[in-house]
Amino acid sequence: METTTTAVRRGGRGAPPRPRRGGAGGPAPAPRADVDRGARPVAGAAPAPPLTALSQKHLLGIQGLSAEEITLILDTARSMAEIGTRQIKKVPALRGKTIVNFFMEPSTRTRSSFEIAEKRLSADTLNFTPSSSSVSKGESLLDTARNLEAMASDMIVIRHRASGSPHFLARHCRSNIINAGDGTHEHPTQALLDAYTIRERKGRIADLRVTIVGDLMHSRVLRSNLFLLGTMGADVQVCGPPTLVPCGLADLGATVHTRIEPALEGADVIMMLRIQRERQKGGAFPSAREYFNLYGLTRERVALARSDAIIMHPGPMNRGVEIDSAVADGPGSVILEQVANGVSVRMAVLYLLAGGTLGELAP
Amino acid sequence: MNWLLKGGRVVDPATGRDGLFDIVVADGRIAAVRPAAPRRGKAAARPAVPKGTRVVDVTGLVVMPGLVDMHVHLRDPGQEHKETIDTGTRAAAAGGFTTVACMPNTEPRNDGLAVTEYIVGEARRRGVVNVVAIGCVSKGGRGEELAEIGDMVRAGAVAVSDDGAPVATAYLMRMALEYTRIFDIPVIDHCEDRSLSAGGVMNEGPTSTALGLKGIPQAAESVAVARDLAIAGLTGGRLHLAHISTRASLDEVRRARAAGVRVTCEATPHHLVLTEKAVAESQYDPNTKMNPPLRSEDDRQALLAGLGDGTIDAIASDHAPHHEDEKLQEYDDAPFGIVGLETAVPLAMDRLVRPGIIDLSRMAELMSLNPARILGLNKGTLAPGADADITVIDPGLEMTVDPARFQSRSRNTPFAGWRLKGWPILTIVGGRAVHDLTPAARR
Repeated sequence: METTTTAVRRGGRGAPPRPRRGGAGGPAPAPRADVDRGARPVAGAAPAPPLTALSQKHLLGIQGLSAEEITLILDTARSMAEIGTRQIKKVPALRGKTIVNFFMEPSTRTRSSFEIAEKRLSADTLNFTPSSSSVSKGESLLDTARNLEAMASDMIVIRHRASGSPHFLARHCRSNIINAGDGTHEHPTQALLDAYTIRERKGRIADLRVTIVGDLMHSRVLRSNLFLLGTMGADVQVCGPPTLVPCGLADLGATVHTRIEPALEGADVIMMLRIQRERQKGGAFPSAREYFNLYGLTRERVALARSDAIIMHPGPMNRGVEIDSAVADGPGSVILEQVANGVSVRMAVLYLLAGGTLGELAP
Repeated sequence: MNWLLKGGRVVDPATGRDGLFDIVVADGRIAAVRPAAPRRGKAAARPAVPKGTRVVDVTGLVVMPGLVDMHVHLRDPGQEHKETIDTGTRAAAAGGFTTVACMPNTEPRNDGLAVTEYIVGEARRRGVVNVVAIGCVSKGGRGEELAEIGDMVRAGAVAVSDDGAPVATAYLMRMALEYTRIFDIPVIDHCEDRSLSAGGVMNEGPTSTALGLKGIPQAAESVAVARDLAIAGLTGGRLHLAHISTRASLDEVRRARAAGVRVTCEATPHHLVLTEKAVAESQYDPNTKMNPPLRSEDDRQALLAGLGDGTIDAIASDHAPHHEDEKLQEYDDAPFGIVGLETAVPLAMDRLVRPGIIDLSRMAELMSLNPARILGLNKGTLAPGADADITVIDPGLEMTVDPARFQSRSRNTPFAGWRLKGWPILTIVGGRAVHDLTPAARR
């Protein structure tokens, strides 16, 4: 069990292995982190070597990542996915490193996904939530983070209600900071796992028509996806009630619709965003019932998209509000694949970010 | 102390002077302003000077009537960890200001005789520049019923405002604008419709959308401006609009003025120099967070035009000190506001005068004469007989903004590290030097 080629694809997985199409060209970086970190492709071996390492210390957002860097993360994730198919789903790439999962907002998927990713890379992990901590005693975010660092954390994965809080920590902390969702700003690993899922299914991202529907105003998933899909050359259509369309969204490279039908026409990918019921209290729409009538994804509406369109949702879903169960569980839905891919993508991010600072510690 | 300021460029819009003059100060007043003598030997000049006079050669420097900042938060009483009347007036002196108007959102609020008397008394005991008080419009600043404005005026208040918050209702604004006619003082309003701005932390636009920060639309200001102007027209009261930040607000002011409404308005250096882009470029630095927020480039251009065409009457710093710990938070949680007393003059010199947006005479109007007139102060001029409040600026002095050297107790500025040309080097209040970087002082 040392290399990709000897890996056994386990039968329990739903989808059969797909032919590889979406790579960056050239061989993907070999995963083999279990053997030797030197297994990363040798820089300078080719005349124009593909990017093999991230120059960033932090992952604060998709904005600022180049297409090459995004491709590197997706290629690395593809290699990481293989580890998940093994009997022993673990490699020592981050052995001896401590990663703090600093989640100041509730999360099931993202936190579990990071934790599994960290464990597969053999990092020591610490889960940190506000209710069980000194945050509930009024300690500031920065003091809490510095205290965690004093216990020798190497990376901090942060989710926080305030936009820009990962940037704030990055300014004042030594650790690598990974944004796991900041306010209504970005959720970069979600956009990366979405991109990974699209690429696995469609073989590419460029020139696909991606339609995103829902609460555009408050969605960090939307923003990260807009930046990523724009950078990768997709045609992004967005749709939501005008009360939930933020000012200047078109300036970020999306075509904005207020009715769902034209937005779905010809879509290769349909991405639904969660509608938070609190927004109704804020007056953005009169009732969940009316929202579903106007914007809910039904089978009839899916028929407006391309016949091979895939349906995505970052979760948690509100069945019967933004998406009909018949669609969520129907053909074309890749919602659980997204979740599975999340682990591989997060392994790739952790691995690449650690590359610069943990390199000399590798066996 | 008596002074002879020799050979400076005296800019005094109240008297129309802009040229080379000598200024003689005696007994705390301007004794004489006379054309600068052609430079001869020192021996020729000396006999004219009485004993005990400090002679300063200010050739090449600009001499203005002492600057007046009509919008300052001194935080005293109640928030002395941010600023005190002592440190705040030192900051004013270092920034070239000889008079500051102290906003009433202290703790307790300045909504009656006792706090006004404290501020005025404390300023007399410990302040190094002139301090005038602005009282609350409403009791406790709660926006419900009028505060005892007459008491505060008797104790020295020169205007009323619920600053920090808008005057809560149109009805209260009507009462305030009518009631203050007794005293002929302005009602100063912070124009913001809070139902539109609620939860917002920066200007609403593509930048706030990209940063995922809740926006405050321009209309939150202009809606409130329009309300106030309509009521000022109704009542004939004197309205002053604080820190105007949008094009639409200025358009409203122009229309109302043309219709005869008594209205004046101010803009801050930061709204004249920075835009919302600073929030993105600084990666969420809370020192770019203030209310009203930094606006769009279009708004900034409108403000610059408003300086030139006279729509804007005053430049005021909205000096809003906050402790480092308060600003060292998530952007959403950090308080609004930045310090401004010690950067206002170099920003005006470097970013407004140097590029020719305004000339020195207009700067003196905006930063001295007009705010003095709006507040009804006998200040803002270098005419003989006036109080000897004088600001001397070295237009060639280039320095870097270094918050560590601020006199203010707080350091919350977005201008740290900016290299600016044109700094105040001598501030005289009532004939006494309160800030002095002249070579003579160093000797």
